[in-house]
Amino acid sequence: MTTPVLEIRNLHARIEEREILKGVNLVIPQGEVHAIMGRNGSGKSTLSYVLAGKEDYEVTEGEILLNGENILEMEPHERAAAGLFLAFQYPIEIPGVATMTFLKAAINAQRKARGEGELTTPEFMRAVKEAGAQLNVDSDMLKRPLNVGFSGGEKKRAEIMQMALLKPSLAVLDETDSGLDIDALQVVSKGVNALRDGKRSMLVITHYQRLLNHIVPDVVHVFSDGRIVESGDKDLALQLEAKGYADYDGQAA
Amino acid sequence: MRQTFPVRLGAAEESLIAQLKAAGADQAAERVTVAGLPTRRVEAYHYTDLKTLLRAIPPLAQAANEASGTALRVPGAYALSIVNGAVLNAATAPEGVKVGKTHGGVLTNRDDVIVSVSNALATETLSLDLKGAIEQVVQIDHRIEGEAGHVADATKIFVADDSSVVVLETFSGSDAAHVGNHATYLALGKNAVVTHVTIDLSGRATSHFATNEYHLADGAQLRTLVIHAGAGLARTHLFPKMEGEGAHADVTGLNLVSDGQHSDITMETQHAVPYTSSQPLFKSITRGRSKSVVQGKLIVARDAQKTDAKFMHQGLMLSDEAEILSKPELEIYADDVVCGHGSTCGKLDEDSLFYLLSRGIPKAEAETILVRGFIAELIDPIEDEALNEALQGIVDGWLLGN
Repeated sequence: MTTPVLEIRNLHARIEEREILKGVNLVIPQGEVHAIMGRNGSGKSTLSYVLAGKEDYEVTEGEILLNGENILEMEPHERAAAGLFLAFQYPIEIPGVATMTFLKAAINAQRKARGEGELTTPEFMRAVKEAGAQLNVDSDMLKRPLNVGFSGGEKKRAEIMQMALLKPSLAVLDETDSGLDIDALQVVSKGVNALRDGKRSMLVITHYQRLLNHIVPDVVHVFSDGRIVESGDKDLALQLEAKGYADYDGQAA
Repeated sequence: MRQTFPVRLGAAEESLIAQLKAAGADQAAERVTVAGLPTRRVEAYHYTDLKTLLRAIPPLAQAANEASGTALRVPGAYALSIVNGAVLNAATAPEGVKVGKTHGGVLTNRDDVIVSVSNALATETLSLDLKGAIEQVVQIDHRIEGEAGHVADATKIFVADDSSVVVLETFSGSDAAHVGNHATYLALGKNAVVTHVTIDLSGRATSHFATNEYHLADGAQLRTLVIHAGAGLARTHLFPKMEGEGAHADVTGLNLVSDGQHSDITMETQHAVPYTSSQPLFKSITRGRSKSVVQGKLIVARDAQKTDAKFMHQGLMLSDEAEILSKPELEIYADDVVCGHGSTCGKLDEDSLFYLLSRGIPKAEAETILVRGFIAELIDPIEDEALNEALQGIVDGWLLGN
């Protein structure tokens, strides 16, 4: 059996004194798309931040293996170079930094970290144009400061475009559907689906089933009180939509 | 109680008084004798106590015949040099640029020691008459060479109606305890469009003082950018006066302050007539144990209705020991104006930093990107490509610790 792209073993994490992740176990084999559903405050977004290495969270127990390698000791930028990508629920606005400049810095930093040469400007422009075309990201948007004044849809399209350019082995999509209308949701989903190539794995975090109509998962996990309490196929998401999360309350206690 | 006894004078004041007397500036000498250098008790010097900060005034610098090289070369610029106060002959001036020399100070008198010393000690004055659309950047390269010296130099620039030009002034020299006092008087004719960039790149031992006085006629558009990135002690005065309807000034500045440095930008903008506007925007970036001071005063005359002016100062602290001091002042005598002020101060935003890291950008590079982003709105409006690049280079060099 090949090494799973992501393996989380008994992961506990806290912010300040509050424990938020309480023993997460999750295996995502190569090429699979897993969804995590759960109500607000169940710890879903914390899981995405802990995976990406945000400093505010302290991992007290457990392991995270990315392609078989423990990433807990890695800095966030090293995790990115190792193949992890987090699409933010709320992409950060950075005034004064042109989107294009940022993209180039990110791509070249990752290439450098992997011992590859920097892209030449024409190579870079070609890659950006290709990735942008599919997500309706035009050159005008790329000249603007990163995410500044972008609409909700533009921000999410820009996130997926970054993912397309950075070609991660694992993409974590945190509430990618939030702030999107139906049309924008379709564009973004199409962009995500185009990146499903049988090798790349994804972890889709959402609390609505709606997104999963567009990005159809191989496995659905229910998250409650800091851990996964049930796993199933895509029908599990439909059941959740119908019945809500009430059944899982108290189960994790 | 007001002071009834003369202040105790230190070594710096004694030499300054002697220099002023020798130059025949008895009034200025008397003023220093009675009041001494300004201390924190003088409002305008509250955060830059010259009596404490300026312990010595070196002898007046000897004339030098050549400069050892400029601190900032901008490709394509037409460069003039003022070395130890003396205007050097330069290459043939481009069309529309008339270079001349006169004598004496250039600043309007005011109750300020830097201004009065400048007017008293400036001997040779560079005068520039600029006319037409001047494509080449006009650079005035001020150098203080040799042993520690006190230099007062002065420049008078007239920009004709409907003309446009970018004037760059650079300040540098040997790394000695120089005291430089540089004055620039810049008059903008009707509808003139002028960008005036002044950059201090002096050695750390130097104390750098500069006063830029601007007069804007109807419809004149001024953009200033002061950058302090060299001297241990630096203070630049910006005194724009909006004298014609439709005049607008973007008065901007940047203090880049490292351990042991003290930089001060003090602005006083006068809106003298109706329908003028100004947008003062200053930024401070501090690291180590350092101090950045920005004072900005907007004065709106009684008749200057419809004035639109907003002062803003934003500070970025890269260390916990640094100090950023911000003093906005409004003095408004008209009743139909839009004036305001704002100040912010903080560290690099953690969320922004994490976002960049999460894309694979290492921490040092991510910080550089954020700092560049922070000052982009000061550098980006400088349209001349070579100058823009040179400015970016100064900022990058500073970030690398130079």
